Amino acid sequence: MIGIKIKKHTEKHTEKKPKKRKSRINKENFKFLSEIFSIKSGIDIPFLFLVMTILVIGLVMMFSASYPNAYYLHGGDSFYFIRNQLIFAVLGVIAMMAISCVDYNYFHKWAVPILITSFVLLILVLLMPARNGVHRWIQLGTFGFQASEITKFAIVVSFAHFITLNFNRMHTFKYGILPYLIILAPTILLLALEPHISCSVIVILLAAGMLFIGGVKLKWFGIVLGSIASALLYLVLFTNKLTYANNRIAGWLDPFSPAAGVDTWQTKQGLYAIGSGGLLGLGLGHSRQKYLFIPEPQNDFIFSVVCEELGFVGAVIILILFALLVWRGMIISMKAKDKFGSLLGIGLTAQVGLQVILNIAVVTNTIPNTGISLPFFSYGGTSLLMLLAQMGIILSISRTSRMEKN
Amino acid sequence: MSKGTTVRMWRRSLVVLGFLVFFGFSALTLRLITLQLFQGEFLQKMASEQQLADTKISAMRGSIYDRNMKPLAQSATVWTVVLEPAYINSQEKREKICKGLSEILEIPVEKLQELSQKNSCYTVIKRKIDSETKNKIVEFKSKNKIASGVRLIEDFKRFYPYGKFAAPLIGFTGADSQGLAGIEAFYEKTLKGEPGRIVTAKNAIGTEMPFDYEQIIPSKPGQSLKLSIDETIQHFMEKNLEEGIINHKVKNRGAAIAMDVKTGEILGMAVKGDFDPNEPFKIADPAEEARIEALPEEEKAKEKAEALSKQWRNKAVSDTYYPGSVFKMVTASMGLEMDVVNEQSTFTCNGSIKPSEGAQSIRCHKRSGHGTQNFVEALCHSCNPAFIMLGQRIGVENFFNFYKSFGFHNKTDIDLPGESSDIFFNKDGKMSLTDLAVASMGQNFSITPIQMITAAATIANGGNLVQPHVVKEILDENGNIVKTIDPIIKRKVISEKTSRRVIDMLHRNATSGAAKNAYIPGYRIAGKTGTSEKIGLSTAGQKDYISSFCGFAPADDPKIAMLVFFDTPKGDYYYGSAVAAPVFAKAMQDILPYMGIEKIYTEEEREKLGNKTPNTIGKNISEAKNISINAGLKPVIIGNGENVISQIPSPSEQIVQGGTIVLYTDSESKSKTVKVPKLTGLSLFEVNKISHSANLNVKISGQNLTESNVVSATQSIPEGTEVPPGTTITVGFIHKDRIT
Repeated sequence: MIGIKIKKHTEKHTEKKPKKRKSRINKENFKFLSEIFSIKSGIDIPFLFLVMTILVIGLVMMFSASYPNAYYLHGGDSFYFIRNQLIFAVLGVIAMMAISCVDYNYFHKWAVPILITSFVLLILVLLMPARNGVHRWIQLGTFGFQASEITKFAIVVSFAHFITLNFNRMHTFKYGILPYLIILAPTILLLALEPHISCSVIVILLAAGMLFIGGVKLKWFGIVLGSIASALLYLVLFTNKLTYANNRIAGWLDPFSPAAGVDTWQTKQGLYAIGSGGLLGLGLGHSRQKYLFIPEPQNDFIFSVVCEELGFVGAVIILILFALLVWRGMIISMKAKDKFGSLLGIGLTAQVGLQVILNIAVVTNTIPNTGISLPFFSYGGTSLLMLLAQMGIILSISRTSRMEKN
Repeated sequence: MSKGTTVRMWRRSLVVLGFLVFFGFSALTLRLITLQLFQGEFLQKMASEQQLADTKISAMRGSIYDRNMKPLAQSATVWTVVLEPAYINSQEKREKICKGLSEILEIPVEKLQELSQKNSCYTVIKRKIDSETKNKIVEFKSKNKIASGVRLIEDFKRFYPYGKFAAPLIGFTGADSQGLAGIEAFYEKTLKGEPGRIVTAKNAIGTEMPFDYEQIIPSKPGQSLKLSIDETIQHFMEKNLEEGIINHKVKNRGAAIAMDVKTGEILGMAVKGDFDPNEPFKIADPAEEARIEALPEEEKAKEKAEALSKQWRNKAVSDTYYPGSVFKMVTASMGLEMDVVNEQSTFTCNGSIKPSEGAQSIRCHKRSGHGTQNFVEALCHSCNPAFIMLGQRIGVENFFNFYKSFGFHNKTDIDLPGESSDIFFNKDGKMSLTDLAVASMGQNFSITPIQMITAAATIANGGNLVQPHVVKEILDENGNIVKTIDPIIKRKVISEKTSRRVIDMLHRNATSGAAKNAYIPGYRIAGKTGTSEKIGLSTAGQKDYISSFCGFAPADDPKIAMLVFFDTPKGDYYYGSAVAAPVFAKAMQDILPYMGIEKIYTEEEREKLGNKTPNTIGKNISEAKNISINAGLKPVIIGNGENVISQIPSPSEQIVQGGTIVLYTDSESKSKTVKVPKLTGLSLFEVNKISHSANLNVKISGQNLTESNVVSATQSIPEGTEVPPGTTITVGFIHKDRIT
């Protein structure tokens, strides 16, 4: 089934642009592979190029940022982190290329099961032993992943699914608001129980963005989003329920001389690293802040090491690459052949964009510190695998997208 | 378009895209600009502070040498023990280190335990340990395989090999080897050098980073000073000054300055009532220390600070005093230079004089008056009315001009800290006739000892005012000369001729005048005594005095000038002639031969001084006896042998005519001794008689032997000491005359 669909798309595409058929691989055995990698087969090469470029830079920086920690904390094995990450990167690229061959409409059918899986995992994760006082990880032997990675994907897929189904009734409360509130409310509640504020924020922003594009009346959009925001604000500012969030806000406002009990070590060390980079940076591998000053420099705060080593110039180049990736992802999605593809692509692209923006905003202390990883850079095998798989979906969408792909 | 995006979807997508790309990414870029380009320097500084371990390398402070390169102050390598709590990661290691260091450094274990738990990677636990202790720590570390946690950092400690020697002149240094007084303070910049640094990158747990980030800025050793001070001369001065302080119960310290009259080089500057620069913060006088210890707590600190600043004070440049009659050499120079007086001018002294009509009369120290005398005699008598009359001839204006010209109205600019200025009647030189009268005899204005000796050097060297200085050369760390301090002649004050005439008068004064206690046979001393009342500083009911002597030698070509100065002598005498002059003479008696100045005896002196002992060793008894008698000596034969095996005094020693020579003929008898009798408080005749009968020889010192009114004051070997017969005892005589 899948194969046939791809062939169909390919045929359509080749009819449009016959000039571009240049493949010299004629053997029937290689046809499948040649279709995947050639322009005529329809995946968007600029997007792939951006993904691969960012991935390679990300891996190099991850290695640079991680090796002191690996060296000091993992028995002198400087390659401890990069080895794992490389394995998953290779697996991820394979997954991405494979998924790019899958018709994304497949997810249309599986939207509800994916959503249910998300809920199951969110409940299951609460039963898992806490790490650093939070329940975020589902551990299966040596293999572990964050339940919220699935949740973000599930929200994007299910929202794209329901919006497509009820596209013409999106202006009503019953079809435009209610179903999404029903999905969103328990999700946020479960995330809050972990607790995982940063993921909640991303989920809410993603949901809001998709509903906005889906055609919800601005009135509803404003009311719901406003009430959620004010509720969060109330919790943070006036109750002790989110004390740890409260402390983070206090630390955000004054990272260099925090009040007692407020830990701003990470933020402070990150800022030192960014500042030390200056215009041109200390040079690749020459970060000093990664030497145990920044806790886990290979994780959320990797961008501070990037800034220190590559300087403002390097950091801005990476920002531009991300911006181009978001741009390209959005354009691919906006020109997708159907609404589901459009919404799915926009959701997945926006997820990457939001994570990049929120992560760097945290690292630069633009917003309070909260745990958001930097896509393609931060250490985390399953997370990288998942991300590359999602990029595969965007590539899949690009196959039928009505756009110039070179 | 029914399946794809609608127009509204398209538009809203663009809004989302715009929000992400333009709002999100631009905001982040702006934020990065702020952090990296504007706050970068600040953040980098903060980061460096935690990343870099900055260790200071002390610079080796330059040494201070005397003019013959004898070290007077040196820096020795010592070590600072540093604890690095960041490396002490186990309780076992902590206990081992604390116990070991506690034993070696004698610091309580509890204190080390506390320090070792500090959140730091650098805590000094002991400074300036010597190499012996350092080796113990090194051994302890290697024995217990402690590679980190304890560090030794090289440092330097100032060391003064001669202890108290020249302490107020050289000064001392503080805990960080910074000069706090004396030459150490004045030449701080030259001596201190530049400290270096080791900058090492460290990670958050304090271990060094694996990449190469260590920068060593080596320290630059300080330059050394070669002083004009001669250790030997200084030593002679200090020895005699200290003796003088004890003999005359001097209450408020004493000072002596010796100067090369031609170059202004200070050859010695002794201040007694001093301290040990190795322990500058200890009160050196045990009596004073005990007194302060007994005080209540609240007064202790203040008293201690006062006592310390007193012992550190360089009296020779920081104290001011009335020069008294010593200044008459200056007044005499003014008179001769202005040609208002000559050697033959006569002055009549009736015991007192009125400086002006209706003014209170000023008395001479000799109440009955000196009668009619010529100018030379007036100087030798130190006659006050004569000098008051001379002052009147000189006049107020000229007096002040000469006063300035001799350098009294300015600091001498000697290279020492804390030099005081003079206190004249009136800054601009205005004074009444009474003021002029007392000024002519050196009263009622204050100058520093260094100003006085500089003026004396001007008289001695032919009339040139030189700038006194204590540093001769500045040397680099390898001993190469970086800078030579050349003599500075400030101006011509008096003519060569005037200078010569004053020297001759002062020579006469020291031979047969008031200064004859400073006489040394053969050495042509010229000088002037001085006794001045201290005003306003008197102890209850008694007047306090400063007695001083300033002179130079040899009179035919003066080379060295010396000022000896005692503040508040409380012994039997307080006159300069009785207190300061003998000290001057004794010091000069040591210094002049050392300087290689030849003795030239007058016939008269030669007769009194006696001859050299003949050599009788190996001769048989009768032959030895003959030789001795022929030499005018009294032979005393001890022992039963046939030949002389040794003699006291040894051959070729100075011996007085008619002295005793002891000839030993066997070795057993050499152990025979005689008891030294009391030889002080006696006349010359009595001393000779007693010593002769005790089979001892006497050497007379410090005295013009032609005078009869002399009394013995000191003996070189104390009464009651058992000595071999024939031993020579030096007996010091002073004049009974009380002449200022």
